[in-house]
Order: sequence, then C-alpha cells, then structure tokens
Amino acid sequence: MADRIVIAVGTKKGLFVAESGKSRRKFALRGPFGSGVAVYSALIDNRGTPRLYASSCNPFFGMKILVSKDLGNKFKPTRSAPAFPEGDGRALANIWSLESGNGKKELWCGSEPAALFRSGDNGDSWEMVSGISNHDHARQWHPGNGGLCMHTIVRDGDRMHLGISTGGHYLSEDGGATFNASNQGVGAGFVPDPYPEFGQCVHKIARHADMPGRLYMQNHGGWEDRPGIGVLRSDDHGHTWTSIADGLPSDFGFPIVVHPQKPETIYVVPLEPMTRTCPDAKPAVWRSENGGNSWKRVARGLPKKDSFFTVLRDAMTIDELKSPALYFGTTTGQLWMGRDGGEEWECLFDSLPPINCVKAAIV
Amino acid sequence: MSIAVRIPNLLRDYCNGIGSIDLSASNVESALLELKQNHPELYGCVCDETGSVRRHINLFVNSEFVPVRGQSGLLTPLESGDVLTIWTAVSGG
Repeated sequence: MADRIVIAVGTKKGLFVAESGKSRRKFALRGPFGSGVAVYSALIDNRGTPRLYASSCNPFFGMKILVSKDLGNKFKPTRSAPAFPEGDGRALANIWSLESGNGKKELWCGSEPAALFRSGDNGDSWEMVSGISNHDHARQWHPGNGGLCMHTIVRDGDRMHLGISTGGHYLSEDGGATFNASNQGVGAGFVPDPYPEFGQCVHKIARHADMPGRLYMQNHGGWEDRPGIGVLRSDDHGHTWTSIADGLPSDFGFPIVVHPQKPETIYVVPLEPMTRTCPDAKPAVWRSENGGNSWKRVARGLPKKDSFFTVLRDAMTIDELKSPALYFGTTTGQLWMGRDGGEEWECLFDSLPPINCVKAAIV
Repeated sequence: MSIAVRIPNLLRDYCNGIGSIDLSASNVESALLELKQNHPELYGCVCDETGSVRRHINLFVNSEFVPVRGQSGLLTPLESGDVLTIWTAVSGG
C-alpha cells in the first residue's frame, strides 16, 4: 500500500529528493545527486518498482540520465543517454522532459535542440524519433530565452502532444510516427503574424485522463497588443485553442497543472511579463474550478510583499492524494507546498539552489 | 610509437578507473578517434555527437594548449612520448 510522498526537485546544482509520510507533516531531504550539475527534468516512474529518473545536463561532459531504483537514495547513469545520430549535425545541449510510455519500460525524452527520443529499455538505449525531430519545420524553429527546447510530452493513447519553445504545439495521432503543427488559436506576440502555423513559444501543456479531448496550455503571453493569448484551452484534442485568460492578473506564466481528480480544476502562476515575477511582488497561485472560465487567487501562507521569484515551466506539480497538495519551486530556491489544492501554503525548504523542476508521487 | 592520454579524475569512471591510456595516434584527431573506438563512453564526455570537442573541455599536448575549436589544432602532430592531457576549463556560477 502506498504510504509515502516523494518529491523530486531538479535544481541548478543537482537533484534533491524529499520524502514524507502521507500526512506531509515533515519532509526529509537528501541530495544533491549528480552534484553540481543542473537538472531540468525528472520523472517518478510508478510502473512496477518505482524508479526516479533525472536528466543531468553537464556542460563539461554532456548529457546523462540518472536513475534510482531505491526511491532516490542512490543514483547511477543509465547505460546511455539520448544523442543525435552520427551525421545529423546537431549536438544535444540539454534534456527538458522525461515521460513514461507504454508497458513498463518505454520512456520518452524531449531535448534541446528540440527533438524527441524514445527508449524501450528504461533508458539504457535511445533512438531519435524522426517524425518530429526531422520534421520539415524543425530547422525553422528557433530558440527562446531558455534555448530551443522540447519541454512537454503529453500522451493520450495513440495521441501525443509536444510543446516546443519556440516551435509551438505538435500533435501525433499515430503513436508518434508522424506529427502536425496544431496551433489554431495559439498566438505569438513576437512575430508579425499573430497566429502563425508554427513557431509559438508554448510554455506548458497539461491534460486529465478523465476528460478526453480537453487540454490546457500556458503559452507565452504578456503582450499588450495581443492580449489573452497566454492561457488557452482546447476541447478537441488540441486541434483548436481558445483563450481562458480572462480574470487573471497576467496571462504570462510558465507552468499549468491539472487537479488529479477534478479535470476542470487547473492552476497557473501568473507572472509580470517583464520581470517574470509575481504581480506586485505578491506571489500567488491562481485556480480555476471550471476549466478556466473564472479564476480565484490562492495565496494564504505565501509572502505578502517584497517577493521576487520565478516559477519555471516544470517547477509546479500536484500529488494524487484525495486532498492533493500542490508544490512549486522557485528560482530563489524555495520549495512551497499548498495543502488542500493550494488553500494553505507552507515553505518546505527555503535555501535550495535555484529550482528548475518539481515532480511528486505517492509510492 | 606510443603517446599517453591523461584522464582527469572526473572521467575515470568512464574508462575503468585508469588515469592514463596509451595510444599509437600520430595527431590529436586520430587520438580522439582511437578513444572513440576503444573507450566510447569516455569519448562521449570529451566530444559531442558532431565530433566537436565539448565547449568546456581543453586539450594540451605536453604543456601546450591545443586550439581545437574552429582551428586546426586537431591536426597537431603527436610524437612518441608525448602526453595528451584532457582538462576541464575553469568556470563558475
């Protein structure tokens, strides 16, 4: 029976693992693993014996994927890491997403420069997925501030949604063999055409398994002359998108998270577009309980003033207990937990390195 | 002819823990290719998929810096008894 909550925290200086009982009263911290090397993506894989994966993006020696089979007490590199095939001309600069796949051994990985890799053996070997990595558009994508990254992989049976910054949203409906840009309604504020076929700066995409066809997107908003393009919803498997930004203090932000039991309950962290910090220096998560039709600020326990941090695209998550807790990590090294779906916030750790990603699971 | 490649501590996990590898290469490029063939994991830490020496890796032949990025340093000749050393560049942050 599951009785522990494990949080994987990827930071600028390695991976930390926090663990608690289901009460979440006290978290024990261990790490850093892959010490000194930035971790941009982590995965707690609950298929069978839990495994923790983390990308270790070493600027000196290249990419590694670390794996732990003992809930994050010890890590070692997988036998190989994703790499572009010889002659491709691209070299892996970072790993931005790790997701589980079919069966017990399939893994997916999104990289910088933007490409998709698949493993059929728990990460010991990898093959590049040509349908997106060599897509006709691929050489026309360009990097945003974070690099040209494939940061989001959302699977839905034979459908696969990819988020690329800046490339936009790509959809496969044949298990990942072929992909099409699927950005109708997804705006861009940094190119002449406000609704290009592709090239948008998508920040994150999320879905809930119980609401087929529904997807939520945090896009790069914050454009005065193109308002409302930052927070979007699709009700047709990502073919078309409409704004759900009304009621938010800013449509700029990075993460978007769905409640584990309520498919219409979603969370975002609005940020001022210039500073990428919370409006008026007062951090808050905003929650919608109706699929983005209206929003409520949830901030009890968070700093009330003078707080300047960013919550990055993979730095917010939610656990799956009956009354779930949200977690977010900040670029100032704080890990926050919001009980009861964000109603009451407390800081679990306040002096970690800058946080890139946070994943939580019950094991 | 034999030259030695000195391996920094941080990379010895990728070559069975040894600190020096003897090769018969006649220049830096062929030394790297020998590493690729015989120690692919170590090579992957020194060069990326395109064959370029990684940005934060420096190579020295004896005490001379080898300009491997965008220059002809890969063709630096090696003679018997030379030592090719792999160093990590200094950096912070």
